[in-house]
Amino acid sequence: MIRLFTLLVYVWMFTPIIAVIILSFNPQQFGSFPMEGFSFKWFVKLSHNSTILDAFKNSLVLGSCTAVLSTAFGVPAAMAFIRYEFRGKQFLNTLLIAPIMIPEVVLGVALLLFIRWLQQPKSFALLLIGHVVLTLPYVLLIVQARLVGIKKEYEEAALSLGANPFQTFKEITFPLLAPAIFAGMLFSFTISFDDVTATLFWATAQNQTVPVKIFGMLRNSVSPEINALGTVMIILTVSTPFLAGYLSRRFASGK
Amino acid sequence: MKDKSWKPWVLLSPSLTAIFFLLVIPICFVIVYSFWLRAPSGADIPAFQFGNYAKFFDDFFYPSILLSTLRVAFETVILCLVFGYIPAYFFYKTRSRFKPFLMLLVMLPFWISFIIRTLSWINILGDSGLINHLLLKFHVISSPLAMLYNEGAVIMGLLQYLLPFMILNIYVSLDGIDKSLTEAAKSLGCTEWQAFKEVTLPLSLPGVSAGCLLVFVLTCGTYLPPMILGGPGNEMIANLIFKRIIGTLDWPFGSAISVLLMVLLMVIVYTYNRYMGINQIFKTLSNES
Amino acid sequence: MKKDLEKIFDDVVVNYKEGNISRRDFVKFLTISGASMGLLGGPFGLVQNALAGKKSITLHSWGGSTSEALRQFAFDPFTKAVGVKVIDAAFTGMAAFLTQVKASYPPGGEFNIAHLSAVYDYARYTDLGFGVKLDESKIPNLKNVMSKMTNTLKAISNGTLSAVPYDLGQTGIAYNTDKISKEKAEELGASLLYDKSLKGKLGSWGGDHITNMWYAALHTGQDPNNITDEKAVWAALKEQRGMIKKYWASGSELMSLLGNSDIYATVAWSGRVGLLQKEGHPIGYLAPKGTYSWMEYMYVLKGTDLDLAQKLLNFMLEPEAIKAVSIGMGYPPSLDPTKVAMPDEIKKLPAFDPTGTLEGYKFADPVYWNAHQIDWAEKWDRIMAGK
Repeated sequence: MIRLFTLLVYVWMFTPIIAVIILSFNPQQFGSFPMEGFSFKWFVKLSHNSTILDAFKNSLVLGSCTAVLSTAFGVPAAMAFIRYEFRGKQFLNTLLIAPIMIPEVVLGVALLLFIRWLQQPKSFALLLIGHVVLTLPYVLLIVQARLVGIKKEYEEAALSLGANPFQTFKEITFPLLAPAIFAGMLFSFTISFDDVTATLFWATAQNQTVPVKIFGMLRNSVSPEINALGTVMIILTVSTPFLAGYLSRRFASGK
Repeated sequence: MKDKSWKPWVLLSPSLTAIFFLLVIPICFVIVYSFWLRAPSGADIPAFQFGNYAKFFDDFFYPSILLSTLRVAFETVILCLVFGYIPAYFFYKTRSRFKPFLMLLVMLPFWISFIIRTLSWINILGDSGLINHLLLKFHVISSPLAMLYNEGAVIMGLLQYLLPFMILNIYVSLDGIDKSLTEAAKSLGCTEWQAFKEVTLPLSLPGVSAGCLLVFVLTCGTYLPPMILGGPGNEMIANLIFKRIIGTLDWPFGSAISVLLMVLLMVIVYTYNRYMGINQIFKTLSNES
Repeated sequence: MKKDLEKIFDDVVVNYKEGNISRRDFVKFLTISGASMGLLGGPFGLVQNALAGKKSITLHSWGGSTSEALRQFAFDPFTKAVGVKVIDAAFTGMAAFLTQVKASYPPGGEFNIAHLSAVYDYARYTDLGFGVKLDESKIPNLKNVMSKMTNTLKAISNGTLSAVPYDLGQTGIAYNTDKISKEKAEELGASLLYDKSLKGKLGSWGGDHITNMWYAALHTGQDPNNITDEKAVWAALKEQRGMIKKYWASGSELMSLLGNSDIYATVAWSGRVGLLQKEGHPIGYLAPKGTYSWMEYMYVLKGTDLDLAQKLLNFMLEPEAIKAVSIGMGYPPSLDPTKVAMPDEIKKLPAFDPTGTLEGYKFADPVYWNAHQIDWAEKWDRIMAGK
């Protein structure tokens, strides 16, 4: 039963995506069923579009930097919330997950107003820190949920056996926390990789990302080209999480 | 770990600095703007008046959009919970060697642009989409069913966007549960269902509630699925903000709507933290063990 | 060294235009100068860039085929001649772009030139203080542009230009010729969009109130630039809402709705109809009396290096460049067809005016529409939401 249901959820989740892939080979102007022939027309058209390739590179760089910075910020914060008692904890915890409560349109414009007031031009650093703020809540939520399940006693035992706090973290907490940290990184990568609205406001003309391009294409191009781009993104990106999965397993077995 | 009250602050300082400069201060700007006036050209005039808020509550139009947003968010949460818990539980239970692969598949949609995933539903639900195409082909129907551009389609898009969030949150929390606990329960005579109900389900609640909160809040702030899959009557509050800020360049009014939405969501998150807070759960766990 | 080359290049361009050099030699020269620039731009270029601070100029446009054509016919020759890189960025929408410009620092500083639509937006940018004063003598190709277009813009910005008109478009009516006969469409005109027999098969542009109010005014027999019976307009739109299948939100959505026969009639951007017709879809274009016309122009934003911008604009107004862009977009160019010969491909485009006088083309009055902008946009939202 559970297995069947899970299978159905998968089918439901992937049918539209598979439809995108299939339709990207439809030579017709308006990719819809039934298929009429098979062609690489839209891919060829896409390959002439050098701005998309640049955007893709920007997206990858931005996503990776965001993932690293966001976990570097988020894990210590999660430790603080779960392992320590201090004043204003509830409030600060709410504050740190606030970015998901605020619609990105608002956040986008808000940050711009501030930057304009500071009289600073936009830059890649701004975009990056902005994305870190956007993704931080996810890292926090995931890491906290996991940290709750790791008993404090393990750490205390290590400390009482003479390990310093850093060693304790490295030998005890980190391995236990690794799945959550990994999940947090993947999450922040994908959120950053996927973000449209905030990036729309924060990115300069030189560091546009793929979703922003697609958002623009919605207005300016025909759908099969978007399908083709979707297919390319699927193929290129599918390999990345699989690689990550492989590395994490090696990492896990190597502990 | 006594007398080290400075330690959490060291751990928190990078996040707090980032949040302070990129969230708190900018949001203050939004609040200030919500009291301003807008000139016909689109320029903003500094002022202090409540006209923008009064306008929101002038008639039932704007509040009704807010209410329907909350309704859609609620429906999405329930559906996500049903469709998310079962796969998460399956991952927790299964000993299949394909498990990492299946987990990666759940993450996969994240890797495909949100816009593309939203658009892809048009290929499925549209008049010449997959479902209508098949139904017509097998003569089940004689004219295409109108499945697109209504609330159902919007929820479909939202669900596809948000389901992985729910599954992962529940799974992370399930994964932290010691499997020997259910074994123990079963050896004490519990059926599988009882063991699930008494042991696994309560222990997975942190993940469930975190997932629900996330889904609810994200639904309230999204505007792409209603824009692409919805009809003109399915607009949500974020569409309204988008339209006011970007469409008519009415930043003061857009700011006022944003402030109202933020306040509402903060109340919800505050309540969540208060009654189902992560901290609360941690305490009960440590007390029991 | 670079300066000298630039001068030589300018001379050659002038010679080419005056007919002293054959096209073949001109192209040859382009290649050679390009190669020498490339050599210079190698090791020396790096140093030069480091000394001069890397110079570039950004142009925001529609992306896709527009940007391809511009790159090939205007940007690359420009970069070769002047040595300044053109960054072509695509914007995501008119409104979003204005928001970005408004929120940028220094005002307009990050943005240089933008390919904007509609005269009332020209007025908005100018009123918000984002405009510049172009020196027309530095853009010799401006002489080929239809004077009706430049005069319309000059009237808004006190007799000077902050933009050069680039192309011409209309929001007319597209209809499916398999379902609606040409006679019927022409007889009904704007009222085709309110025809009860098309219930559930109509579409409209959901993005702004102007288009919708414009056609409602035509339908109720009023002048769109001076609506006297506002109630009738709103009543017509309210009634129309019940018959609309989808208020489309983008050009690609418009095309797929029409192309898939999801809708049979809608207001439509002429360029999109042109592209559909080129693909062989049974789509007719109807431009009833008082059809909503607009122009697109290259707006230069405050803070831009004017010398550079004017040079680039002149390259972009080269007939070959603008014709290629026009074909790519499906909108006729701003050039006067009586001064510059147009290929058939352009003559067939919807909204093309062979006389170059734009007689009978009705543009939105910027003062009138901008004055009511917020009020009407909000009313339109309510109509669209059905409340």
